[in-house]
Amino acid sequence: MDFLLNPYYLQIIMFIIINAILGISIYLTMATGQLSLGNAGFMSIGAYVSALLTLKAGVPLYVAVPVGGAAACLMAAVIGIPTTRLRGIYLAIATLGFGEVVRVVILNLTITNGALGLSGIPSMSVMLSKVFTAMGLAAGIGGMSVRQLGNISVIFILAIILGFLVFFALRLSTSRLGRAFAAIKADEHAAEVSGIDTRYYKLLAFFMGAFVAGIAGGLAAHITFYIGPKDFAYHRAVEILLFAVLGGSDVVWGPLLGSLILTLLPEVLRFATEYREMIYGGILVIMMAFRPQGLISEDTLGFWQKKLMSKSEASTQGEISRRTTR
Amino acid sequence: MLKIEQLAAGYGNIKALKNIDLSVPVGSIVSLIGANGAGKTTAMKVIMGLLKPDSGQILFKGQNINGVATHKIVSAGLSLVPEGRNILCRMTVLENLEMGACQRRDNEVQADMKRIFRRFPILEERKSQLGGTLSGGQQQMLAIGRALMSRPELLLLDEPSMGLAPLVVSDIFKVIQEINQEGTTILLVEQNVRQALKIAQYAYVLETGKMILHGQAKDIANNPRVMEAYLGGKKVG
Repeated sequence: MDFLLNPYYLQIIMFIIINAILGISIYLTMATGQLSLGNAGFMSIGAYVSALLTLKAGVPLYVAVPVGGAAACLMAAVIGIPTTRLRGIYLAIATLGFGEVVRVVILNLTITNGALGLSGIPSMSVMLSKVFTAMGLAAGIGGMSVRQLGNISVIFILAIILGFLVFFALRLSTSRLGRAFAAIKADEHAAEVSGIDTRYYKLLAFFMGAFVAGIAGGLAAHITFYIGPKDFAYHRAVEILLFAVLGGSDVVWGPLLGSLILTLLPEVLRFATEYREMIYGGILVIMMAFRPQGLISEDTLGFWQKKLMSKSEASTQGEISRRTTR
Repeated sequence: MLKIEQLAAGYGNIKALKNIDLSVPVGSIVSLIGANGAGKTTAMKVIMGLLKPDSGQILFKGQNINGVATHKIVSAGLSLVPEGRNILCRMTVLENLEMGACQRRDNEVQADMKRIFRRFPILEERKSQLGGTLSGGQQQMLAIGRALMSRPELLLLDEPSMGLAPLVVSDIFKVIQEINQEGTTILLVEQNVRQALKIAQYAYVLETGKMILHGQAKDIANNPRVMEAYLGGKKVG
């Protein structure tokens, strides 16, 4: 039990969930076929805004994190209105540039503490541990220390947020809005002449992606106690994109699987830390060559569905044939 | 219903349309014919707001729609069946049709859907099949059905006969006539000049961005210049 509740493992689980939330953010933007590399920038805005709010203004966490998301969304409006006119690679370049601008601005502001970053950000697990202590659980419960209890509750809260976002994304794909997104992704021209306001929907997807990335940033800041401009550099932007490239961006499960694999991989490959970026690059090249749609696509889901169905059918048919041969 | 005055448009330095005039009266079928690169598709794009004109006016039901966003033009009652059909290949036939009705909030969408299935029974048969698995002719029917789902008063068709077998082409033209008889005005862009002139009342001939000829479809069909350039001979049957 103690082995499983090792803080190192608990932290990895937290990172997996944070990255999964980022995976959803890139999924939302890509639902309209927009290739955005700006989600790391939005994440950093969410992280810094919420961290500054809790650290300097003493705003409670449950207010600070959504405000961080809203700030990211606001920034998305500023850069989205001109850039969502761009398509494909041009949007990718513009948003990549945006991410770098955000990083450099953070690096040079006093309030963000420049290159040193913000440290001593109130930690969610410490906060929760304090709550538990106040509740008279200082000795822990069921063999778990108060620290562990705090960490587990954080994971629980993150899982609820993730669960809600997955539910939202799944509902979205069957809604009117989701259909419009899918039509734009499939053929923007056709969507436009069918009367879909492509600009509005593309902006909306961009905003939703930015908001979710901002939330992820705010949560991440309150898990790691420390954020610095380095955390949101170019490689972060590419990492988020990789969730979708590796897992697939057709269905929500794709980026989720991608984020799970890509968060676990560096931990498994700890001995090869220096080669991490190289391995990422290799993965990208291999994926593009052999499975450009990502690990999970709509067809994959259909295939497994059919397979499971036919299995149950085959077993019933087998019974029938056995009976008839008798 | 639609009136275009002195319309000019282009792509960068290339002027694809040079001050064309065109008018489509209510309830008619008007054909716009011309060879490749004459500017027919550009004209469609400009009308639908997909391309901004350099100058000129586009009046739809007396209102200037020049520079209005495409989705607003659709809700004003114009609908385009795009060249090459632009079917959403990875969506089902039903979803494609629903997409055409994406702006409608009334509850007659299902009734309209049934009407389209009555016109194209094959679409009902294949309604849960993916759009991309349909044949060319079926895709064209689907594209027409999708455009009709927005209940247009004026339907623009951009080369509906493109890449289709002759038998299918005559089917499609028959359907276009039926749609017109049920009250939808039609502007038809075609390279299949013979067929297009057969069903149209009025026709315009576009050549390298200029409107070189217009008149009653019958007169155009008998025009020696048109005969020679498009109909492959001096006599028309």
